[in-house]
Amino acid sequence: MMPLRRFRIHQAREIKEAAEMLAQFGDKGRLYAGGTELLLAMKHDLLRYEHLVDVKTIPGLDKIELKNSTLHIGSTATHRSIENSPLIREHFPVIAEMERHVANVRVRATGTLGGNLCFAEPHSDPATLLLALRAKARVQGSKGERTLEMDELVAGAYETSLAADEILTAVAIPLSAKPRRAAYLKFQIHERPTLGLALVLELDDGQNIKAARAVVGSVSPKPCRSDKAEALLAGPRDKVEKQLPHAAKALAEAADPVDDLEGSAEYKRHLIGVFLRRAFDRALQRPTAHG
Amino acid sequence: MSAEKKRDFQIVNHSVPRRDGPAKVTGKAVYVSDVKLPAMAYAKVLRSPYAHAKIVSIDSAKAAARPGVYAVLTSNDLTGLNLYYGHAVKDHPLIAVDKVRYAGEPVAAVVAQDERTAFEALEFIDVKYDELKAVLTPKEALDKGAALLHERTFEAGALRGFEGEVAAGRGSNICQESHLKWGDVEAAFARAAAVVEGEYYFPMAYAYAMEPYVAIAEVSDNGVTIYSSAQHPFMVRHDLTTVFKLPVSQIRLIVPFVGGGYGSKSYTKIEPLVAACAWKAQRPVKLQLSVEEAMLTTRSDDALTWMRTAVDAHGKIIARQARIYMNTGAYAENSPLVCEKATNRTVGPYSIPNVQIDTYSVYTNTVPASSYRGFGCAQVTMAGESQIDELATKIGKDPYEFRLANVAKPGEEFFPKMRPFDGTLKQDLEIAAKALDWQQTPPKGHGKSIGCSTSDAGAYPLTSTVIRVHADSSVSILTGSTELGQGSHTVIPQIVAEELGVPFEKVRVVASDTAITPYDRSTGASRTTTLMGRAVLEASREAIEQMVRMAAELLKIKTDAIEVVRGGVRCGEARLTWSEIISRYYGLPDGEVIGRAYIRKAGDFSKPPVFWETACTGVEISVDEETGLIRVEKLATVGDVGLAINPALAEGQDIGAATMGMGVGLFEELVYEGPQLVNGSILDYRVPRFSDMPRQVEMHLVENQDGVGPYGAKGGGEASLNSMPSNIANALYNATGVRIRRVPLTPEKVWRALKERQ
Repeated sequence: MMPLRRFRIHQAREIKEAAEMLAQFGDKGRLYAGGTELLLAMKHDLLRYEHLVDVKTIPGLDKIELKNSTLHIGSTATHRSIENSPLIREHFPVIAEMERHVANVRVRATGTLGGNLCFAEPHSDPATLLLALRAKARVQGSKGERTLEMDELVAGAYETSLAADEILTAVAIPLSAKPRRAAYLKFQIHERPTLGLALVLELDDGQNIKAARAVVGSVSPKPCRSDKAEALLAGPRDKVEKQLPHAAKALAEAADPVDDLEGSAEYKRHLIGVFLRRAFDRALQRPTAHG
Repeated sequence: MSAEKKRDFQIVNHSVPRRDGPAKVTGKAVYVSDVKLPAMAYAKVLRSPYAHAKIVSIDSAKAAARPGVYAVLTSNDLTGLNLYYGHAVKDHPLIAVDKVRYAGEPVAAVVAQDERTAFEALEFIDVKYDELKAVLTPKEALDKGAALLHERTFEAGALRGFEGEVAAGRGSNICQESHLKWGDVEAAFARAAAVVEGEYYFPMAYAYAMEPYVAIAEVSDNGVTIYSSAQHPFMVRHDLTTVFKLPVSQIRLIVPFVGGGYGSKSYTKIEPLVAACAWKAQRPVKLQLSVEEAMLTTRSDDALTWMRTAVDAHGKIIARQARIYMNTGAYAENSPLVCEKATNRTVGPYSIPNVQIDTYSVYTNTVPASSYRGFGCAQVTMAGESQIDELATKIGKDPYEFRLANVAKPGEEFFPKMRPFDGTLKQDLEIAAKALDWQQTPPKGHGKSIGCSTSDAGAYPLTSTVIRVHADSSVSILTGSTELGQGSHTVIPQIVAEELGVPFEKVRVVASDTAITPYDRSTGASRTTTLMGRAVLEASREAIEQMVRMAAELLKIKTDAIEVVRGGVRCGEARLTWSEIISRYYGLPDGEVIGRAYIRKAGDFSKPPVFWETACTGVEISVDEETGLIRVEKLATVGDVGLAINPALAEGQDIGAATMGMGVGLFEELVYEGPQLVNGSILDYRVPRFSDMPRQVEMHLVENQDGVGPYGAKGGGEASLNSMPSNIANALYNATGVRIRRVPLTPEKVWRALKERQ
């Protein structure tokens, strides 16, 4: 960690203004929200910017609300505010619980959901769970608004598909008409998790899983799901239970884990099996409305 | 030391609250980083990207020309200074000369008006390197034809502290060798009833202190003044006298609170470099390293230990042999002494008639290794205590019973030419066993282990002090012992308050300024309570003797008619407090009496070690066999401390050391990929957290007043680390039947071992 190099902060008052600034500064500028990852990388001299465009000053960008059966989380909402939001605790306890285990309380009090997703650090907890919850990213740029799937937003390690002048404004998560059970588990020894695994099950009745979404994060450059795995995770509960090892194998194949300081690819593939089973057990024990 | 009865103590042996606590928790405590001198400039360091390279050229003109830059320091322009320092071996240049020997070595420093300006100028220094082949492990370094780190020989440092010859620079990469031998090892192994043999590894670790290295230097006609986070200011002073060719009286080291050390702050680190910066820039200069830079400054020696141990048919250990390769990195630092201590400590706390230990400390192109809490003992106890369990298992004995039958007995000369054993390990082990319910089988997936260690501790006994008894009976203690968080500045006044019979609050410490406080060799090797404690006790008694003579003169009686009571003297009905004696003696309500003491290698301290630092630890762990994750569920520490001057602080040291050992047992390790340290930041290097702490902790102190320190005290604070890594390995074996001989026992390593078992 070194002294920060000199840079200028520009505090935008509206999204349009922020988008214009970003377009103007190009490579020399970067959007700045909580800064818990960006400023750390700058202090380690891994990233250099002359201009930071602060979007925390845009009114209402941190709003958390329920509209038209969809939960909207504004991009500058902090992890801490999401963790403590009564709305989220009621409708998506799995999100509140995931947020409660993001980094540490100092990071959660400053770091934002939007910043986390757009920094696209491969070990992001929210990116993994939100992909499982079929969340959508609302994006606004100088050419207007668009909506992206989570796996479209996150393009790779430290990489999003946003254009230079585009800003993530909110994440929208649909409530489910069907009863839904969800779990997010992670395995963590170091500062960054070895593995994060999200499982969302839609239930027909007590014994039948109508649809499933399983996402594994941290093991490879971006959160990953697999149609094959999800097909194996749907059906009568006891049948799915027997298919869990096959589903885990399919998920591991899709994720294609990498060797790094958090563990070898082989170990991570093994852990996907362990934690898919644990998430399955956890999800089905948890009686909640939307996960 | 004649032992006073424990129950008589008024202040000693009580857990008085630590002196520095309120200042530290309210942020008022002053550390070097809080100190600012007038016209002070700031330095930042350019570090080598290569592990081993010739420096072809350095062009610093562009950096020097930047606004706000006062000076750029390279080895090109230090004529007049001695660049090489080292208390053990003078092999360490204060900045790279002609070549670099590890990735991260300082190559140049910029001095500027502020840190940012200094930092921003670094990239304008143009260094051309010619890369050389790097050697990264002792094995590579000892290969025939291996690249040499040091081409020339070096003198031994003046305060070398080790017995052997300097091996450095004699045509190989061996920095130091140490050999220990008694009995006939070969014959003993030949007639042994059972033998275990294996290779064990203790990793490179970083002794993470919250405060990274920081120093401020000022060079003037009066000499060199340095504020530093140094643990041993007097040792640093000595190195600086050689760098600047100045007399001792013209080098001044001032050490305010130190934010943790654990070995890492011992001996000279950045002080020569910052002093050279101040000399060049002709103004005071501060250099504070980041944690990441601190991790490129010092680490523990990692150690690869081949060991075998033998028992006879009665279950008595009859022989131990080991060959140890320690990776000392690019410079000797304190590793020659670590090498020698590791050799001694490989014997363990056991009475073994046949011993042969051969240790090699080897230069490699990695961060220099130096002291690390436990001081070689942690490295070799990992091997020794694992092997004790393995041997017990092999002969069908309970490891705890096996230890009881083999540990050194009180007063036993278990180590030739050394002080007889001054601890009570049998009693210590029994306490640990009781704390762990040893006879009780643990639940499935759990395993227990008890281990112990003893170290020849206390370093070289050279300590002096002055205590000043003022005319109001308040007292100032001048001590060169540094407060690193271990509590010495609470314990030292406790002893003086006890001796003089004055309230603890009235006794104050003036510390660690080499221009003011008398010489103390070091604050390390768990020596302060024993040596500085003994010194302030003797200085207090010397002051009392003087005041008794003064009282005799005032009362016009013989000194032997005077009885010393709490806070003063008595003769028949007449009573005089210290305050009354001093005031009446001088005829003013002012003035003072100065008591002093010198401890040297004589009398009680003539035979090494100063004391045997002895402790037991016990754990119960649980193992998640699916992931390989180990959790320490229960921890017991037993500190064999003679007498705890402050029991709460002694226990604090024990749990701290045990936690540090747990870290190495479970996850702490500096990882190199090729020549680069890849987890050299606190984001990537994992230290224990509160969430890792066992749910159940029992701390015990054994107080038999059997040490040479004040009231029979002995040092503590390191020993509880030593047996923790092996405890975790042994407990894993007891839980699962899997034996791992390399720590840390990361989940993946455990998972792999479990998989191989199936």
